Amino acid sequence: MADKQEVLRLENLAYEMRKKLINLCGVYEGAVHIGGDLSMTDLLIGLFHHGLNVDPDNIQNPGRDRFILSKGHGAVCMYIAMAMRGFFDYDEIVRTYGKLDSAYGMHPCKVQLPGVECSSGSLGQGLAMAVGMTISAKVKGEGHRVVCMLGDGETCEGSVWEAAMSGRSFELGNLVAVIDRNCQMMCSYTEEITVMDPYADKWKAFGWNVLEIDGHDMNAIVDALDSLPPASSARPTAIIAHTTKGKGVSFMERAVGWHAGSLNEEDFKQALKELASNYGKEE
Amino acid sequence: MAGSFNFGEWISARSVIGDTLCEIGEKNERLFVCTPDVGMNLKGFRQKFPKRYIDVGIAEQNCVGVAAGLALAGNIPVIMGMLPFLSMRACEQVRTAVCYQNLPVRIIGTGGGLTSGGGSTHNAMEDLAILKSMVNMTVLSICDPNMIRDILNLSMDYPGPMYIRLAQGKKDRQLYEPGTMEFSIGGSVTAKDGKDITILAHGEMVGEALDAAEELKEEGIDVRVIDMYTVKPFDREAVKKAVEETKKIIVWEDHLMNGGLASSIADYFVDEQIRPVSFRRFGIPQVYAGFGSGEELRQKYGYAKEHVMEAVREMV
Repeated sequence: MADKQEVLRLENLAYEMRKKLINLCGVYEGAVHIGGDLSMTDLLIGLFHHGLNVDPDNIQNPGRDRFILSKGHGAVCMYIAMAMRGFFDYDEIVRTYGKLDSAYGMHPCKVQLPGVECSSGSLGQGLAMAVGMTISAKVKGEGHRVVCMLGDGETCEGSVWEAAMSGRSFELGNLVAVIDRNCQMMCSYTEEITVMDPYADKWKAFGWNVLEIDGHDMNAIVDALDSLPPASSARPTAIIAHTTKGKGVSFMERAVGWHAGSLNEEDFKQALKELASNYGKEE
Repeated sequence: MAGSFNFGEWISARSVIGDTLCEIGEKNERLFVCTPDVGMNLKGFRQKFPKRYIDVGIAEQNCVGVAAGLALAGNIPVIMGMLPFLSMRACEQVRTAVCYQNLPVRIIGTGGGLTSGGGSTHNAMEDLAILKSMVNMTVLSICDPNMIRDILNLSMDYPGPMYIRLAQGKKDRQLYEPGTMEFSIGGSVTAKDGKDITILAHGEMVGEALDAAEELKEEGIDVRVIDMYTVKPFDREAVKKAVEETKKIIVWEDHLMNGGLASSIADYFVDEQIRPVSFRRFGIPQVYAGFGSGEELRQKYGYAKEHVMEAVREMV
């Protein structure tokens, strides 16, 4: 069972992170992919502040865990989770996000932003790269994990399942796919457009070890990350995290219009008020 | 291993590649060989280095993505496959996973031009246009199997992604005596010197151009043949010198006339205001060519040796 103090610490971080996301969404003139950011906030806090062995002061450490954000449109969510861990400066992210010559773009670029392991943005490509990185680690006898975060929507892409087959075929026990199963794509709800259920069965059928969790329950996230099978396992692990797009802000939750957007003054205040209330905090 | 050299003898580029990868694999632990189920000539590597042999099955997109991941982890992956599928099915992975991240992935394949014998599904006739357009990508087109050995060795220390186009890969013509030529990534070879006109060719067309030059010599026409084995970035100095010295230029390639080397050369002439006295190109017109041997299809579509020789006679 997860340590209560640790879970509380992570929940507080998740609240801070949601506030930071909402703040950016209020400040930035363009659209922020706030819906999917809020659905994976708890997962990224769990990863960067608990599960992943990473060190902001030694970003090239060969033994570090690798994180690949396959759902690249959630870049700013990753930047902020990493900033809160000491990788980047949050104020700089807010000041420069999406602007000319900023390293903090809508989709992450490893060439421009050291600390990011892999450039992404074209959906469905991350898992294959994670497979390649894990094969390398296995061949060299390195014990670190490779964690790839996918959106459920991008698992419409066939390339994801090609990579899933390889993950099992090459017996990559160190490979972890975390799927943000928020059941929405940009313009629709997944099951109305592409029937994905029974979703866990699909990953199981591809030979993966599957964990299903509530992706907003920090206890469950910590338990899942703490109980990953050993590196020597033949099966990679898929953590299917059931989430809510826009989690924490009522008018964004499961709303098709909030795949991406920016907040007006009134909505901005409302969003912060709701977050505080949801977390039992003073605003 | 390279056998004894006989000009014009046909040997398998694929087996040379298989042997060369084994040799490199011995000394370079960063070398991985990846393939989407096209590993016929990689058995040696597979036996020697089973852990560094990555056959992902018939999944080109995945193959390129996995190779990108291997490169991200500090390795040099060489992908062997069939070019139409590596250049088109996996096009976006090549562009975004490999080129955007500027990773040292090497893509080598067979089926360049109309040589595959498999029809239009298996002909890579657009590949150079596609690959040339990708930022950071270096593009080569090679016929001589021994050149491949040298280029592969050089590629281990070359930054960024690379695409190497072969024709058949089963039966490839030896053009240069091993050890007599120095090849470089970015270079070209003057396969035959001449002063009346220059044929710029790559891949299988180099041997054809040498044959044409030989026949034209009997008619008193002195043809220069340059093997433009680096298609991007091509050897500008050699081309510029050819224009200065021979005035007349033909580009001959087994690729769509639009978008191949000829287009690059034309771009260069425009950008640098270089004006050859005459400039023509031979290649594949806008057509899905159907079935037949490479030679038969070149005859049918107007870019066989006879067509080029006729153009040379008109131009000089």
